[in-house]
Formats: sequence, C-alpha cells, structure tokens
Amino acid sequence: MTAILSVEGVDKSYGTHHILKSVSLTVEDGETFAVIGPNGAGKTTLFKVMTGEIGFERGRIVYDGRDVSRAPAHERARLGMGRTFQVARIFPDVTVADNLTVAVEARRRSRGESAPAWYRVATRADIRAEVEARLLDVGLADKAAVEAKFLSHGDKKRLEFGIALAGRPRILMLDEPTAGMSPTDRIATADLIARLRAETGLTVVMTEHDMDVIFGLADRILVMNYGEIIAVGSIEEVRANPLVREVYLGQEIYHAER
Amino acid sequence: MMALRLGAILFGAALFLALPTVSDQGIVFLAGLVVIEAIFALSWNLLFGFTGLASFGHAAFFAIGAYLTGYGLKAGLGVPFLGLIAASGLLGALVAALTGLVLLRRTTGIHLAIFTLALAEVLRIVIGYSTLLGREDGLASIPKPTLELGFATIPLTSGTAYYYFMCVAGLVIGAVLWVVCHGPYGRLLVSIRQDPQRVAFLGVNVGRKRLQAFILSGAVAAIAGALYAPWAQIVTPESAHWIHSTQPMLASLLGGAHSFWGPVVGTVLFSIINYLTRNLVGLSELVIGATLLIIVLAAPSGVIGLVRTAQQRWSRRRKSGAGPDGDEGGSVRS
Ligand SMILES: Nc1ncnc2c1ncn2[C@@H]1O[C@H](COP(=O)(O)OP(=O)(O)OP(=O)(O)O)[C@@H](O)[C@H]1O
Ligand SMILES: [Mg+2]
Repeated sequence: MTAILSVEGVDKSYGTHHILKSVSLTVEDGETFAVIGPNGAGKTTLFKVMTGEIGFERGRIVYDGRDVSRAPAHERARLGMGRTFQVARIFPDVTVADNLTVAVEARRRSRGESAPAWYRVATRADIRAEVEARLLDVGLADKAAVEAKFLSHGDKKRLEFGIALAGRPRILMLDEPTAGMSPTDRIATADLIARLRAETGLTVVMTEHDMDVIFGLADRILVMNYGEIIAVGSIEEVRANPLVREVYLGQEIYHAER
Repeated sequence: MMALRLGAILFGAALFLALPTVSDQGIVFLAGLVVIEAIFALSWNLLFGFTGLASFGHAAFFAIGAYLTGYGLKAGLGVPFLGLIAASGLLGALVAALTGLVLLRRTTGIHLAIFTLALAEVLRIVIGYSTLLGREDGLASIPKPTLELGFATIPLTSGTAYYYFMCVAGLVIGAVLWVVCHGPYGRLLVSIRQDPQRVAFLGVNVGRKRLQAFILSGAVAAIAGALYAPWAQIVTPESAHWIHSTQPMLASLLGGAHSFWGPVVGTVLFSIINYLTRNLVGLSELVIGATLLIIVLAAPSGVIGLVRTAQQRWSRRRKSGAGPDGDEGGSVRS
C-alpha cells in the first residue's frame, strides 16, 4: 500500500479560535477512510484544508507525492481530488443534465482530453453519453430535464455526487454524503459508493454521522474531538479505544452492527 | 417557445431594416442609437447576467471606442473604417485586461462595482482635460466613413447607408455573442455566476474565466462606441458618464438579465418610452422609474421572464396537467 494523501502537522485557526491542532493523517491508495467525531470537532474544517478551500497556518499536505499545501482548489481538482460539500452545492438555475454537462466539459478541458469548442452550441454526442452514464449512476435519469432547484434534498445530494464523479477523481472526499437522506436513500448512496470503489479503485475519504454507513464502508476510521485526533485504526481498534468510549459514551457506535 | 422566439427576432430585424423607407430621419437616427445601445447592453449583460460580475463603469469602454474611432475619422489618418473598429475593440480589450487583472484579483460584487464606477469617472475627467480630444466640447463634426472591403468600396456617407451597416454589424455581433453564451463557454460562465467555488472544484481557474469575460465584454462595449462616433458625428465626455453606464443595467433589468435577449428587449422598450414622452419634461424619467419599480417588484426576471411564464401557463393549460413539461422553460440561457 502506498499513501495517496497525507496531512502533516496541520494547524488551523479561525481568528483566536484554534480549530485543528497539529493534525496528521495518512490515506492509503484505494482505501475508504472515515473521519468521525462529535459536532464541531473540526471534520469539515479538515476537509476544507485538504481540498484547498481554505489555507492553514502550519504543516503541509502531500498528495500523490507532491506538496499541494499552497495549490489552489482548481489545481488540486485537476490532479484528481474530487469533493462534495456538507450542504449540497449544485447549479440551481439550470437542468440536472446541464449540471453534469458543465462538470464533464470542465474535466475534459482541464485534463487535456477532447472537449468541445466554444462555438459548439449543440452538446456533443460523446459528452451527452457521458452525462447519461452519470445520471444512471446516481439514479437521476428520469429527472434530467428538471431545473436543479426543484430537486428534493436527497436528490440534490445525489446530483452533487454525480458532479463530483463527472470529474473522474482518484480520491473522493465526501462530507456527510447521506446527511438528511431517507433510510432507503442512505442505503442506495452507500451501495453506490461501494460499487464505484470496486469498479474504479477509487480512494474515498468521508465524514458521516450515520454509523451504519461508516461501518459498512470504512476500512479505517479516524476519530476527532475538539480539533485533535484521539484514535485511528480499524473499526474494532477504534471501538476498543478508551478515549473513544469516553467521547461516544453509550452511543450508536457501540450498537450498530457491521 | 422556439417558434415564438424566432418569430420575434425575424419581426424585429424586418422592422429595423424597413424603417428608413417608412419613417423620417429622426426616427431612423433613434433606431440607430437603439442598435448601438443594444450591443452595449449585451456586452454588459455578458458580465452581469452570465458571469455574475457587475461593472458600474461600463461606459468607459464605450467612450474608449467612440473616441478612438471618432479621432481616427476626424483626423483623416487613412486607417480603413473596419480597421478603426477592430482597433477600438482591441483597445477596449487591452484596458479591460489591465483593469481586470488588478480588480478581479480580489474584488467581485459591490467592490468591483464601485471600483469600475470610479475608474470610469476618472477617465471622463481626464478626457475633459485632454486638448487632443477636444476637452469638454468633445470631438465634433466626425465624418461618416467609407467601407473598403478590398473587392468593393461602399460609401457609408449617407445616413441610410450607415444605418444599414450598423444593422448588419449588430446582427453579426449579436450572433457571435449568442453562440458564445449558448455553447460550452456560456454554460461555464453561467455556472460561475451561480457558484464560483463549486466551479473551482471542477478544476476550472475561475479567476481566469472571469478575466476573459471581462475582456470580451470590454471589447464589445468599445466596438459599440466605435459604431456610435460616425452615427452621432460628435463624441463628448458624457459618453463615459456614469449615467451612460446605468443605461445597459436598466435595459438588462427591464428586459431580463438572465435571458440573452433581455438587454435588447429592454433597450427597445426604454427608447419607445423615451420617444413617447419626449415632449413632457420629466415624464420619461417618471415612467421609466415606475416601470422599473414594477418590474423589480413583480417580475424579477424582466419582461422576457413575464412572457415566458405566460407562455408556460398557456401551454400547461393546453396540455391540462400533463405533468411538468420537458421544455427548458424558465431556464437561464434561452
Ligand atoms: N468560518 C468559520 N469561522 C469561525 N469559526 C468556524 C468557521 N467554520 C467553522 N467554525 C468553527 O470551527 C469548529 C469546527 O467546525 P467544523 O464545521 O469543522 O465541525 P464539524 O466537525 O464538521 O461539525 P459537524 O459534525 O456539525 O459538521 C466549530 O466550533 C465551528 O463553530
Ligand atoms: Mg461538518
């Protein structure tokens, strides 16, 4: 196993509020790595730092052997980092299909693949085919012509997932991919992640409050509390950790079944 | 929807082309101004309605083109007219590139609006002090040009000939912008307007795309100015005035900023209101103000948005609840 992403001693503050306290972690190529912790632990902040949405004070971030600490978000995306947001971010004023079209075209242009010229008003057939495939992936084929703002909460999450997939990432960072979904949708999303992982060897980094989803997908778990890492390891190791017991006392982490 | 749109465009074009044969010179002059202001408004809305950037000093680009072409024609530099138009576009692009490089680095939103407004006012004052450009009096008695196409020489010295030239120029520029806005590039700009950060995570250098749009917009605004100089035959510092900068904004808001043709529809409507109220001092401002108020409060997507909603309602009634129609009705870029 080789490391695809490592965070080395990263500190991040908002003003005087110290959020990430010398956080270090390593994600192996092809694994599914889950970050859990109570509300406000700093999980989203960690995601923002890893994807380049915000800067940080100390430490460095190495992706695929290169230091990307100062690389802007779009460069990290070009290198193969994909992400979704805790609150789904889509393009509300255009159709579901157009949301994916723009993502497919952007990826092709930025990676030097064949992309349509500016004057191609009709969407090219190969782009349409790729969009169709992503629509099927996320189960939105029947809503392709709907304006994205009219989607339900769960469908917006799925669309955003599709947008991230359209970027063909090597590593996909999902901030609470099933938050606010119905139980059926949760299972569908977890299945989708599992399938993509099997098909493409995708590396996944995810946060999630739903322990069933975590236990079903994660190879390794990192537990955060108040911006500090309190445990990393397999599900069993983490469950057996006394510090984790303290934080999660009596909670579902000890009830959910693998 | 498609047929309605196409019909409206053809009807509008036919009306403009027939105008010199059916009406007096005064109306033709106003129609020529409408063509110029419509191009100007399209250039502004490429930034606002499509890319999500508000420039409040767009008249500066217009003035740059108007003064360059006006000076070139008046001084008899011997540069062909199309060359002057191209030079105006290039200068507009260059100025947009320089200001955009500085401004777009950090500022978007209200800061960009204020900065562009301030820069345009500076330009207007500088022109007012420039002897070469006629100070406050501007450049007067600019001659109408002759069009040299290599294989033919067409004199545009008569008002009618120049009017037709502007109609053709307007159609060409409108067509190019339409393609830009409806192809992959326009799709990207519209996405940037909606969520620039999301677009960055698609691997797009958003700052660079914004700068490109700014340059294109500046170039087209300068070309509108270049067309204006020989039509009005006088160019004054007023062309860079902030009041002139508000014209494309008001037109876009009235017509519908999220639709490609909105700025054109708005420009035409404003000119009609101005014309009908021309003899009553202050009334045109009152009517325009009231119209804008109604539009902003009742129809935020402008006149085109109103027409589209009415059209959808009508087609839905015809289908009598056959579910949401597959048409992209209400979509942004149609
Ligand atoms: N932009 C900001 N400015 C100041 N403080 C912030 C900002 N964003 C987050 N915080 C604070 O940082 C801390 C960590 O927030 P973060 O969103 O990373 O937590 P989280 O682990 O993702 O929580 P949740 O499970 O609720 O999503 C919180 O105390 C939060 O209030
Ligand atoms: Mg969070």
